[in-house]
Amino acid sequence: MSESAKTMIEVTDLHKSFGSNEVLKGISTTINQGEVVAVIGPSGSGKSTFLRCLNLLEEVTSGKVIVEGRDLTDKNTDINQVRQKIGMVFQHFNLFPHQTVAENIMLAPSMLKKLSKTEARSRAESLLAQVKLSEKIDARPAQLSGGQKQRVAIARALAMDPDIMLFDEPTSALDPEMVGEVLDVMKALAAAGMTMVVVTHEMGFAREVSDRLLFMADGRVVEEGDPREVLANPQNDRTKDFLAKVL
Amino acid sequence: MHISHRSRASAARTGALITLLLGFIGMTFGVSALQAHAEGPVEGQTFVIATDTTFAPFEFRDASGDMTGIDMDLIREIAQRKGFNVDIQALGFDAALQAVTSGQADGVIAGMSITDARKEVFDFSAPYFSSGVQMAVRADDSSITSYEDLRGKTVVAKTGAEGLSFAQSIADQYGFTVKALGSADTMYAEVASGNAAAVFDDYPVLAYGIAQGNGLKVVTPKEQGSSYGFAVLKGSNAELLQAFNEGLSEMKADGSYHALLTKYLGSNAPADDAQVEGVQGKTFVIATDTTFAPFEYRNESGEMTGIDIDLINEIARRQGFSVDIRALGFDAALQAVTSGQADGVIAGMSITDARKEVFDFSAPYFDSGVQMAVRADDDTITSYEDLSGKTVVAKTGAEGLTFAQSIADQYGFTVKALDKADTMYSEVATGNAAAVFDDYPVLAYGINQGNGLKIVTPKEQGSSYGFAVLKGSNPELLQAFNAGLSGMQTDGTYQAIIDKYLKAPDAGGSSQSFWGLLVQSMPALLKGLLLTLAATALSLVFASVLGVVFGFLKVSGNKILQSIASVYVDIFRGTPLLVQAFFFYFGLPTALGIKLDVLTAGVITLSLNAGAYMTEIVRGGIQSVDTGQMEAARSLGLNWMQSMRKIIVPQAVKIMTPSFINQFVITLKDTSLLAVLGFAELTYQGQQIIARNFRSFEVWLIVGAMYFIVISALTKLSNRIDRRINK
Repeated sequence: MSESAKTMIEVTDLHKSFGSNEVLKGISTTINQGEVVAVIGPSGSGKSTFLRCLNLLEEVTSGKVIVEGRDLTDKNTDINQVRQKIGMVFQHFNLFPHQTVAENIMLAPSMLKKLSKTEARSRAESLLAQVKLSEKIDARPAQLSGGQKQRVAIARALAMDPDIMLFDEPTSALDPEMVGEVLDVMKALAAAGMTMVVVTHEMGFAREVSDRLLFMADGRVVEEGDPREVLANPQNDRTKDFLAKVL
Repeated sequence: MHISHRSRASAARTGALITLLLGFIGMTFGVSALQAHAEGPVEGQTFVIATDTTFAPFEFRDASGDMTGIDMDLIREIAQRKGFNVDIQALGFDAALQAVTSGQADGVIAGMSITDARKEVFDFSAPYFSSGVQMAVRADDSSITSYEDLRGKTVVAKTGAEGLSFAQSIADQYGFTVKALGSADTMYAEVASGNAAAVFDDYPVLAYGIAQGNGLKVVTPKEQGSSYGFAVLKGSNAELLQAFNEGLSEMKADGSYHALLTKYLGSNAPADDAQVEGVQGKTFVIATDTTFAPFEYRNESGEMTGIDIDLINEIARRQGFSVDIRALGFDAALQAVTSGQADGVIAGMSITDARKEVFDFSAPYFDSGVQMAVRADDDTITSYEDLSGKTVVAKTGAEGLTFAQSIADQYGFTVKALDKADTMYSEVATGNAAAVFDDYPVLAYGINQGNGLKIVTPKEQGSSYGFAVLKGSNPELLQAFNAGLSGMQTDGTYQAIIDKYLKAPDAGGSSQSFWGLLVQSMPALLKGLLLTLAATALSLVFASVLGVVFGFLKVSGNKILQSIASVYVDIFRGTPLLVQAFFFYFGLPTALGIKLDVLTAGVITLSLNAGAYMTEIVRGGIQSVDTGQMEAARSLGLNWMQSMRKIIVPQAVKIMTPSFINQFVITLKDTSLLAVLGFAELTYQGQQIIARNFRSFEVWLIVGAMYFIVISALTKLSNRIDRRINK
């Protein structure tokens, strides 16, 4: 968190509406290289929408999202190029069921980076080793447990060698005993210096791993700061109220 | 037997009527001619007629040195009929024409072609002979049947004759050599001896030589034809010209002209006075009914046969054109002609005033009449009075229906119109209807086939059947039909055809065992099945393309593209397939002035119809893939197309396969609707067989079983492939 750190994501006055329903009401924040940002808040507060705006899975209604210097709201920006550098992990894994674990991971590198089959395969092997699932390389998603699926999903998201990783409630759909294995992988990623934005309900993870905490309510960031401080001593009423319920 | 009596009696009556009518017309004309040319009646006058010296068989000197030939017999016969004398002067062709222009002769008859140039100088009669060039080879030579067979060979033709210029005009194209000779005798000798492969000459000249036994035979149709006419000097001798025309038409009508031609041309004589210009070598599409025995029906081997079919084929042969007969059903046949899909219709079609608004009819070729038939064991109904409170059936568009409706109120019965003879008979046989009203030959034929009915009333409301073309079009086809028909009536061929069907009806079929029927009908049914499968396969290929294209438009997210796809789907799901079929086969071609054959129209209809359902299958398949799949693919940096191709489509295909197999079965079954267009698929073949033998129970059982077996087998196969591919 040195002052000289490179800015990875810059969000300015981001608004997002679905029809007449305004979900994001003006969010501005800057995320630096290597920073791990945890986004918490009650359901319906706009956390996931905010995250999905960062790789334009949701179209932005107004405001600016600039990722590594490229303005995503500019029509001339090749969003597919930008997305190759932003990995995303979904709550429900979204593995491709008609492909094996290896094929899931190799898809983007072989299509977009034109890696040879052997190159892509060795990339998949090293990524699977990283998430400790080497033995599942030729399994089908249906043969994996929830935790294993999410670790494969992380490996897939890492396959394009992204600069930023987005996590959309990565452990919410997991049985409790599997949450740990996924968080361990994420901790390792953070320790390795990955820039991460994590929408989560895991307060423990937020406290221990993240560098900064954003608390969202009603489409706004109502409080942000050092996670240990915010969690221990919330200033905003909404934050206090929420933390009282979840902790 | 009573049927043939009736038809003979009616033919005799018609004959008498025609004679009377012609006599009347003749009288009227005679009188008007007298009035118009009071100053110069032909009776008792002597006219000088110039002619050629030797143009056999038209004019030449016989053994005793007298002028004879077609022209000579013709002018003498007409002179005798019209009461004038002729002084024939054989001057040579050029001199004969000069004699007329100089006033030395009153008229010229010399195998003289009617040309525009000559019309400047002469007034011509109606053409009395159509000439043209033909090719003849040695009678025992079967190696040469067309111009193609002449390659590398030598042919002969007469110096200065049309045969020579025609042969030279095609010599390069077919690679043969032409040798010009001065006399007919030499030419024939060259061919007879094998020095030349063939001879090209004017058809009557050739025919005369063959009739004289020169040992040749004609092998090609007439080419480059011209018409011969009798001529007078322009503006003079109008009464002579008129007398010639009247006499000629009388001779044509009573057959003496044909006899005259036969005398000189033997079996190569044209059926009538002449072949009608403009039909030779052409192919006409003739629409007909599917099930109107004995006029048209399919025989055991699945070929169209019947009075109408024999008639049109014989006329086509005589007039030198080809016919492509399409059995479409009665209504569809009429529509086919009005929409330009067919050139003519022959379908036991009554000549009515209403139809004359739309069609031009030929001379009537058959006199029909309506009779009533009931179940053979029904003794309660013997007259119209017994029908009170009952229901009768009649055929849509047929005279029987009109007649039944005209007396329905009077006798208090209800009339139900049905489209097919076998349906009508079943209604009566099962007791659903008390009686059937239909044309007598049709009823008689059905009863002979064992449909279990009997006729109880005499013939009513006789109508005449005619061949028809669309009003104002194909006049030469109509003319050719009339000419051919009159030739057939003259030489007895016509009566032979009528007798063939009404005297000794084909009794086969009705007493056959089920297995016999199965074996006999299988070839036709298998042919139909093959067409069913072909139409299904073709349609599904096109439907899949349409389904993918419009299905993707529907999920494209673009409002305009989506509405285009929606309009397409709504139109084809919102209208009956049958209406679509009629539209593409009858409607659109009429509007655009194009011709669509029935397979093309059928495949277009089925493709567009199935395509609409396939669009929904594709859309449903794609949309049933979890949206998270697309998001995951896009978040990796794949574009929309890449994501579709690699992630969405493979999963959608799995989901769609059962629906696709279902659509395949539906389309296969839908092909049966094309039977109404006369598309010879399986159902149509079934209809055809029943139209012949009236055994609907067995035949529909067989047809149903065939559909069932094929569909079950194909469904099983598809499911197996589906399981293998999609695991």
